[in-house]
Amino acid sequence: MGSDSDSQTKLHDDMELRARIDRSLRHPVMFFFASGAAWLAVALVLGFISSYQSHDTRFLSGVGFLNYGRVYPAHVNVLIYGWGCQAAFGLIVWLMARLSRKECTCAGVILTAGHIWNLGVLAGMLGILSGYGSGKPWMEFPSAIWPLFLVSYFFITVWSFIQFRCSEPGKTYVAQWYLLAALFWFPWVYLTAHLFVFVFNGHPVMAAGVNAWFKYALIFLFFTPVALGTSYYLAPKVTGRPVYSYPLALFGFWALAIIGPWAGMQKLAGGPLPQFMPYVGAAATVLILIPALAVGVNILMTLRGHEAEVGSSPSLRFTVAGIASFLVLGLVGMGLNTPSILKMTQFSLTGYGFEILAIYGFFSMCAFGGIYFIVPRVTRREWLSRRFIGWHFWLTIYGIATVVVCSIMGGLFHGAAQEAYNSAWQDAAKISYAYTVGTTVAWGLILFGSLFFLLHLLLMWARLGRRSQHPTLLQGEHHGESPHGPEDDLDKLHTAEA
Amino acid sequence: MGNLLMVRRTISINFILRKPDPMTFKAFILALALSFGVPWLLIIVVPYGKMRNLEAVHFEMDSDGRDEVYVPRRSGRITTGSAVYGANGCYVCHTQLIRASYAGSELGRPDWAGFRIKDENGVTINTARETTPYDYVGESFAHVGIMRVGPDLSNVAGRIQGYLDDPLTKADSPENWLYLHLYNSSFKTKTFNNVAGCPSQTHLFEERVVRGQGSPEAVPGINMDGVEVLPTGDARALVSYLLSLRKDDAVPYSINYSREKKKAE
Repeated sequence: MGSDSDSQTKLHDDMELRARIDRSLRHPVMFFFASGAAWLAVALVLGFISSYQSHDTRFLSGVGFLNYGRVYPAHVNVLIYGWGCQAAFGLIVWLMARLSRKECTCAGVILTAGHIWNLGVLAGMLGILSGYGSGKPWMEFPSAIWPLFLVSYFFITVWSFIQFRCSEPGKTYVAQWYLLAALFWFPWVYLTAHLFVFVFNGHPVMAAGVNAWFKYALIFLFFTPVALGTSYYLAPKVTGRPVYSYPLALFGFWALAIIGPWAGMQKLAGGPLPQFMPYVGAAATVLILIPALAVGVNILMTLRGHEAEVGSSPSLRFTVAGIASFLVLGLVGMGLNTPSILKMTQFSLTGYGFEILAIYGFFSMCAFGGIYFIVPRVTRREWLSRRFIGWHFWLTIYGIATVVVCSIMGGLFHGAAQEAYNSAWQDAAKISYAYTVGTTVAWGLILFGSLFFLLHLLLMWARLGRRSQHPTLLQGEHHGESPHGPEDDLDKLHTAEA
Repeated sequence: MGNLLMVRRTISINFILRKPDPMTFKAFILALALSFGVPWLLIIVVPYGKMRNLEAVHFEMDSDGRDEVYVPRRSGRITTGSAVYGANGCYVCHTQLIRASYAGSELGRPDWAGFRIKDENGVTINTARETTPYDYVGESFAHVGIMRVGPDLSNVAGRIQGYLDDPLTKADSPENWLYLHLYNSSFKTKTFNNVAGCPSQTHLFEERVVRGQGSPEAVPGINMDGVEVLPTGDARALVSYLLSLRKDDAVPYSINYSREKKKAE
């Protein structure tokens, strides 16, 4: 009887700790998710405009700041820095605090740094649109902005690192490896790329090479580990069973760490730089299939036998979609980077399709999964509408599949026509028309879906969510128990603190 | 009771997930630093340092017929023009890379990589060659490009010279051809069913009411009632830069990858 009440106290303490962690992070996490979702909507509007312009060059052509050559870079950069990075920050900050079992004591600093980051994105977007873009893919924000980003990155994430170091020693979760690695790689990749491109005075071809490497390093060494960390947290957590295989998780992690940093320079294949660099990049992108398979198998096996939960839980459903996209990414990366295909994909629409598959199909889907899990916990309210979540899911899935298939297929035909050097160039230029129209329609669908997401998220931040003990599920009846613990404990906690 | 079970389940999951970790934190960070640092050194730092100081290439007596240092020739407002090219996103649709023949087929396209010209004996020679590291001289960043929606621009200045021979063209000089292309790419020729390929960059031009005989700077061939079109400074720099993109410069035999290259006799 005594031990029973002891364990009960322990459980109660544990629950209170988790509630305190969630409360301490409510504003930073909601700030990153909500402003990220707002930037996502902006990025999608810009994506729709630029895609429309790619098949109708007269669309908005009289408006200088909405010219295709400015809207396209603005679309990509806002998608990466406005949405991608901020969603990643929200996930890292919350997951690291929960996994290290430490409250956040620096919410104010994180929020301030987050505002600076947002100002940077705003200034960068306006800079590109008004003709001050730097002209280096994925680094188009005017060059004054990158040091600002680096400083605010430091003040956003350093606390997560400290929390990890101060947690109970000796035990770590798989999710923590990935998050730590992302925290470690991002500044190194980001600083290297910007120093070599903007600051050092090197050879222009090598600057372009570093720039091409930066794209893939950001995908494989920042967005990928954050997405995988989130999935490795959610899959066992929601199903209530351990990760399927620990050795496989270890293998997948180190495979990514060893293969990822080599990828990217295949953009310069056949160009005037040492040719081992592009082909090593192509080979590494082919080999990404190895970590993709390891992680894919591990997470899907963890979820095996829990098909009902996958169907009904928004978090799991998005996670499964994201992990499936990672597998597709590995397969597509293998297919598109063999030397004979690389000829056709190096300068066609395909690259865009691959990047969107990585950033949206894979990373963003995993991030949505995390957001649908985290937001009810930090706001202590349930999602308002399962229809909103369902629409967001299906519109995004169909939209992304269409963008990726159109870009990759259209790009392959486009590339093949470019290679046919005896035919007129105009033949190659016209061939992708239908595919770009398809892409435009799909961006419209995705935009529509993510507006539901944005609205839903803002309502949750305003604490207008359902005050209920039943999580919002996509199918079937609600469970009888709240996933966040009973509400009265928190009320007691409030009273105690007051 | 239900709630209690729930919590207990969560704790037991936490317990199961926490595998004994064979790696210390230091070893973990060290391994990360190694797995990232090796490629970082091998494909970024060392090649960057090496390519900073490329050795000068020489014309040599036995292959080129003369003995001197190769100095890539390029003139125009390259630094400013390259920045305008980047800021307006020309690189999204246009590439500037003639790949080696194992990596692409640009060498096969007429006018993309060089010219077919007749030498003094009336023999046709093809000067098409792949891009060398010296083709980007004067720029801080090689605008290799993202997608090839429009044609490659490595030799655009050379091609435009050919377009001026077209009887339907409205342009009287390479500059004006480019101004017409940038202002509205369907204005370049006298036919009316032109398809606008490149989005029009009207923000690079100033439209104003004609006074008197009009400005001598105005772009000819644009008929708008009483309004003339003047290129801005950005447009001038961009056009100057584009006209520096040509592949008719004789390169030393050692870096000439043309299939039809010949040794000097």
